[in-house]
Amino acid sequence: MATQPTVPSVASNPPLTPEGRRGLMRGTGNRDPRKRADTIAAYLFLAPYLIVLLVFWIGVSLYGLGLSFFRIDLGFTGAVFVGLKNYIQLFNQLANPGLSDFWTSMGNIVKFTIFVVIGQTILALVLALLLQQLKRARGAFRTIFYIPAVTSSVATSLIFLWLYNPDGIINYILSLVHISGPDWLNNVFWALPALMLINIWTTGATFMLYFLAGLQDMPRELFEASEVDGATNLQTFWFITVPLLRPTIFLVVALGTIGAFQMFDQAKFMTNGQPLNSTLTPMLEIYNEGFLNGGFGQAAAMSVVLFAIIFIVTILQRSFIDPGNNQ
Amino acid sequence: MAQAQVEQSRPVELAQPEKPERRPIRWWHIVVYVFLAVFTLTSIGPLIFTFISSFKTMSAVLLFPPTLLPQPFVWSNYTQILANPLFLRWMLNAFIYAVGATVLNAIFSAMAGYALGRMNFPGKNLIFLVTLSVMMIPNAITLIPKFLVASNLHLINTYFALILPAMVQPFSVFLMVQFMKSLPKELEESATIDGASRWRTFYQIILPQVKPAITAVVILTFQGAWNDFQWPLVALGTQDMYTLPLGLFFFKSAHYTEYNLLLAGSMFNTIPILIIFFIFQRYFIEGATSSGVKG
Repeated sequence: MATQPTVPSVASNPPLTPEGRRGLMRGTGNRDPRKRADTIAAYLFLAPYLIVLLVFWIGVSLYGLGLSFFRIDLGFTGAVFVGLKNYIQLFNQLANPGLSDFWTSMGNIVKFTIFVVIGQTILALVLALLLQQLKRARGAFRTIFYIPAVTSSVATSLIFLWLYNPDGIINYILSLVHISGPDWLNNVFWALPALMLINIWTTGATFMLYFLAGLQDMPRELFEASEVDGATNLQTFWFITVPLLRPTIFLVVALGTIGAFQMFDQAKFMTNGQPLNSTLTPMLEIYNEGFLNGGFGQAAAMSVVLFAIIFIVTILQRSFIDPGNNQ
Repeated sequence: MAQAQVEQSRPVELAQPEKPERRPIRWWHIVVYVFLAVFTLTSIGPLIFTFISSFKTMSAVLLFPPTLLPQPFVWSNYTQILANPLFLRWMLNAFIYAVGATVLNAIFSAMAGYALGRMNFPGKNLIFLVTLSVMMIPNAITLIPKFLVASNLHLINTYFALILPAMVQPFSVFLMVQFMKSLPKELEESATIDGASRWRTFYQIILPQVKPAITAVVILTFQGAWNDFQWPLVALGTQDMYTLPLGLFFFKSAHYTEYNLLLAGSMFNTIPILIIFFIFQRYFIEGATSSGVKG
């Protein structure tokens, strides 16, 4: 940067590197009226974004954090500052988690997340590897496999309400192999797995694309070398493909976890948390607490706890799956 | 998979003398085809079967064992739905939400991307950093306060409540910045000498160059808004303002056991987005993959 000649006119000096130019700009600073005009222009371009960013992202997040220290009963009283009371109340319920809707929903979502993330990651990887094998019609099959990801959660919920119906297609297929299927969505044990299956079905398709991108970035020579060394398909997969895919696997697992922890649509649409709270998820409980009970402060505290749990889990995943990545 | 790849890259003349090596590949091919068939069936089977079954009568749709083809074939599910004036209103509302959010987000995120990707000004790095951090904030934390903010601004049960928060999305801005940065530096230099204004440079020179990024943003935003269920559920109050996904939720409660109607209803939500998907599938897939940088 320092070696760049400090010629004031940028136009007459085209070979400047970006770093060099940035250095130049900082040097001239606000004294140059043209630079000031540029700054104003930049902020005009940014204005709509900055407004939304400040109001609906930063403002709203801080508001949410603040809310969790208040007791708000909409329509009855104004906001009352209660300090950590909302949190203390939540953590006190841990003494008897089975009686607490929030901790029941947490238990459900942990089960849900574990199975969905494992399922969708494996499905996505299998689909991507499968497409990788194809020499012809790869694009066509990629399109077909991606269709579940395009369909809306509401449409898939409607479709699966019908498929899961006790006399539905899924139980018919099971009856062909002499299994009598349960009443999926009204069964305390099977309702949550039924929702897991839908989520694996829709999200696996999205994450397939990430694995496809990851597979295409791999250096060919490594595979040729392993072929020369006489490695079997399985060995190549396990010792070369999987380690090289680590960053992609982390990404898929992390995004999958973040998404699964916040599952709402199907739980609200298909089962509304029932039967016996077996499909109650934290997001649904937050919604119920806020919009049905009017306990916005308590709901905000739940949001913060959920966010903290998601955050910690993501960090842990990074250190387990992709320890080399210290970004 | 390694073998398939290596085979591809090998010159054609070499392939012939190595016949014994082809055996395991052929066995492997059978596995591949079986899996292809299974996943094709599971990927589109439910949708196709739903589409076919949406022409069945109420009793036929619940037959056990199920029949593949509708007997008798009826249009009544669709005519009955379209006879409900609210249903078309819901579609219109969903369309207004999706188009409003999409158009504004495409314009505003391109503008923000231009400033952050191609201009130098104090505060630029901070804004970009905030953009990156904000992308990590989950829905969980914003749902309740977003409702209260919208409520304080008297936006509840209006199109503004739907569109305003979605009119510039940090992820779209991020996508635009990345794309704008990849364009050659010389692009607007000549224009600046010509004395073209910043806005004209953006409008006439930069925008045409970033069409792929804009298309990706357009598609992701449209899909997100068209399919959105959670925010309309919170932000809308009266039936005439419902978007289609929300309308379908109440339609479901009203016709709980009439699966024939529910299936036909789901098609109104699915078919428009599928048509758009088939037209722009390349951009769908590029857009979805580019969100991979998000982590």
